[in-house]
Amino acid sequence: MGFDILTIPKRFFKAFSNLRTGIVLLLLVVIASALGTFILQRPMTDAQKMQTVYSPQTLLWLDRLSLTDVFHAWWFLTLLGLLSLSIVLVSIDRFPNAWRFYARPYRKTDSHFRAALPTKAELPIKNAADGLNAGERALKKLRWPAERIVDGNQSSLYSERHRFSVMAVYVIHASLLLIFAGGIIDGLFGYSGFLMLQRGETGNVIELRTGAKKVLPFSIKCYEAGQENYADGSPRKWWSKLAVVQDGKELESKEIAVNDPLVHRGLRFYQASYGPTGKVEGVKVIATPNEGAAREITLRMNEPVELDPSTTVTLAEFIPDFFIRDNQVFKRSDDVVNPAIRLQIKKAGSDQAAIQWIFPAYNPVSQGQDAGYQFEFRDMQMGYFTGLEVSHEPGQWLVWAGCVLMGVGLFVAFYLVHMRLWVVAVPDAKGKLVLWIGGHANKNKDRFEQKFAEVVDGIREELDRASAAPRSAHNEEAELTLVAVK
Amino acid sequence: MATRARVVRMETPAATGGNALLVLVGLGVAFLLITALLGAAKAGGSLFNESNLLYVALIFYAGAGALYMGFGVTGVAKYVKFASMATAIGFIANTLAVGHRWYMAGRPPFASIYEMLLSFVWTVAALTLITEKKFGVKIIGSITMPLAVVCVILMQLLPSEVRPLVPALQSTWLHVHVTLAMLSYAACAVSFALAMMFLIKDRFPTETFLALTSALVGAIYIAVVATRFEKWGGLSVTAWDANEKSDVFLGRGVRLFVTVPDLGWLFVMAGVAALVPLVFYALARVQKNDAYHGIANKAIFIGVLLQVVVLAAFVFRVRDASYPSPYQEGLYPTSLAASPFILGGLVTGVFASLLYLMLLWRRSDLEALLPSSDALDRVTYKTICVAFPLLTGMIATGAFWANRTWGSYWSWDPKETWAAITWLVYAGYLHMRITRGWRGRRAAYFAILGFAVVIFTFLGVTYLLPGLHAYA
Repeated sequence: MGFDILTIPKRFFKAFSNLRTGIVLLLLVVIASALGTFILQRPMTDAQKMQTVYSPQTLLWLDRLSLTDVFHAWWFLTLLGLLSLSIVLVSIDRFPNAWRFYARPYRKTDSHFRAALPTKAELPIKNAADGLNAGERALKKLRWPAERIVDGNQSSLYSERHRFSVMAVYVIHASLLLIFAGGIIDGLFGYSGFLMLQRGETGNVIELRTGAKKVLPFSIKCYEAGQENYADGSPRKWWSKLAVVQDGKELESKEIAVNDPLVHRGLRFYQASYGPTGKVEGVKVIATPNEGAAREITLRMNEPVELDPSTTVTLAEFIPDFFIRDNQVFKRSDDVVNPAIRLQIKKAGSDQAAIQWIFPAYNPVSQGQDAGYQFEFRDMQMGYFTGLEVSHEPGQWLVWAGCVLMGVGLFVAFYLVHMRLWVVAVPDAKGKLVLWIGGHANKNKDRFEQKFAEVVDGIREELDRASAAPRSAHNEEAELTLVAVK
Repeated sequence: MATRARVVRMETPAATGGNALLVLVGLGVAFLLITALLGAAKAGGSLFNESNLLYVALIFYAGAGALYMGFGVTGVAKYVKFASMATAIGFIANTLAVGHRWYMAGRPPFASIYEMLLSFVWTVAALTLITEKKFGVKIIGSITMPLAVVCVILMQLLPSEVRPLVPALQSTWLHVHVTLAMLSYAACAVSFALAMMFLIKDRFPTETFLALTSALVGAIYIAVVATRFEKWGGLSVTAWDANEKSDVFLGRGVRLFVTVPDLGWLFVMAGVAALVPLVFYALARVQKNDAYHGIANKAIFIGVLLQVVVLAAFVFRVRDASYPSPYQEGLYPTSLAASPFILGGLVTGVFASLLYLMLLWRRSDLEALLPSSDALDRVTYKTICVAFPLLTGMIATGAFWANRTWGSYWSWDPKETWAAITWLVYAGYLHMRITRGWRGRRAAYFAILGFAVVIFTFLGVTYLLPGLHAYA
């Protein structure tokens, strides 16, 4: 016994192309997926929570075995790959037979087949031609296709429906492979991340799931963004007016909302969130000079506004929630509860700027170094950001195609039955000529029994009608003559 | 010789007499309808609003359930005719209730647990009628109608206002996805009921049913006690904000729990009582003494009574009271709406135990009424053939909707992953059946396993594993 190199692929093929391997792989995928839902997964769970929930030793082992990121672990992806391989190999193994069955239907019966087939009936007939004609008429009436098979001087009928349903299972498994292929493509070539834009801002760098940054081939500019609320204040809709900008030119624009993304060159921009940035966009104050009329000015961060030819005022700092310690103003939190506004007033010819503070929650009037002006707080506008989810999924079309194909495949597999009927005139066991009718269905056999009985009854009716017809025609003639004589 | 068509419809043996139950149920239904009508007329307002229609549906489902169970116990065929009529009328009222809610909310009812139960009950009633008329399994109503009644009663305890949808839920694909989910889960539930009926007909030992019922109920109590038992015997339940009509949240996703004193001990007691029959079953097997089965059955009966006591205690103490919290100063109110899963678990325990007792006392009658085990096996398979494409559609539309809303069609979210696991389990059933020819008991076990996974996907994931899917 030499070592035959060809046996390795053969044994591999045998190992993977049977159902038991497939079921085992399926089971392993199920167990792994379940583990991935019970064990906290990174990066969705933040590191601190992981350390709170698991002891350091446990966490170490969980990380080592990739149980904290099961769905991206190499062994999980290998399992999915092996499952796909098993589907392919099983299909290759069984397809030739199925194709032979499909391409070369068994149209003519032989006596062994007729003896073995469980669903059959025999009707006595006078001669073969009449019997087959009656059969043909009955089948046509019941809307079965009737095909005449002529073999020398022997003639028989063959009728079948939905032959393609035997292929359905291969369609279903092919669609599953399509879906997997789409997922693999997206896993390898797809990416998704987050882009935060403020009003008027243009950006093209997104932050990926892993924290890394990626530069997009074009930029997105946010003209406007907003939030609509229900009567009770809960958010109803977030929207953004976006435009695609490349080389300074605007290529496309769209107002997006949740569930209605902007799609450009395969990249999709989804409205994911909307919220305050904590920074101020503009502050309205009334500037009153020591002598002169008051006027209202709007200040933007670090943009000096001219009060008179020799004085400018700038919004230098905005603290959303302040506290004072050691005569200095500090930030307590990012929530806009207790704001503090620092203004710098510069006079021409002087290097130093006078500083004034406004604490709107306490006193709208500014206080601080003397600068020739007093400022009274009127209003402020907070900045908002629009949160866009960006994703590039080139493989998704394969996934959707696979889903549709699977829907079709399942429908054909479960609801279209491959049914066959054979009708042939043969002598029965006692030697008398009978019309042998046989039927077969590949599923839903109890329903088929009913259909078969209908066909047999129909053929019997046709046979009776054919044998009764000459006599009744004769009677009619006789009656007519009688009437005429009267 | 021609083979005549064999009639494959399942015929049940005719039984004579027995108008008493019909009259009783008819009177009961009429009485409840009249009092409801008078109550609604007195309260003023529209007669055909959602809650009235739902109450009418409840009355007719309860009547149908009583008649189906009567059929199960006595075998009088007449009961089924009236039971289906009652189911059909209840179904019409249910449909009108769903329609009314849809109209008032401007969207189909899928956004809260109240609405999910409403849709689920509607689907269960529809499937009961279909299974009975198309497949001839007349006894299915005796399981599904009481289930529908239980669900409607549960719904009365939940907040029912129409809440506006958060942005992510406003999509047509959502409606398609949730409809498919409801239909497929209902089909899986029916396949589960049929598989159980197969086991009953197939002479699956009553003692094993005893062990399984005891294990299930025990598991429910163990789950509640393990997660909610507080030191000194209290039970922690979620606090309820009556103004916001929602759970009280301490922070993002972190709920505030209050401690209801002594309720923990009651649950422990009921849990122990639920496991006692299992212990006696084990004793019977180990010591090969069947006498223990008798004791185990008595223990189940006592266990049921205890469970009802615990249910009543839970309802009365949690319904409308305030309790202290170990996490924050002060007393916080609580409500049954804040603990739908514990309530559901208690009701399921009682329900399962009562079904077991019905099996124990009337097994031979039930067996005589059921279609042949072969027919039941086949209908289970057909039901799964309905459920599987629906499950596939549910997952596909869910993926499509997720893609439109969050930019990713598959993010291995726990609910998505468990839906895929459910799909794989049923695919396994179909493979074993079609390719390996598994029939009978093994197929029934597989179908039951499939439904257990469905329950976990639908309820367990929401309760135990939070994620993106935390809407309902």
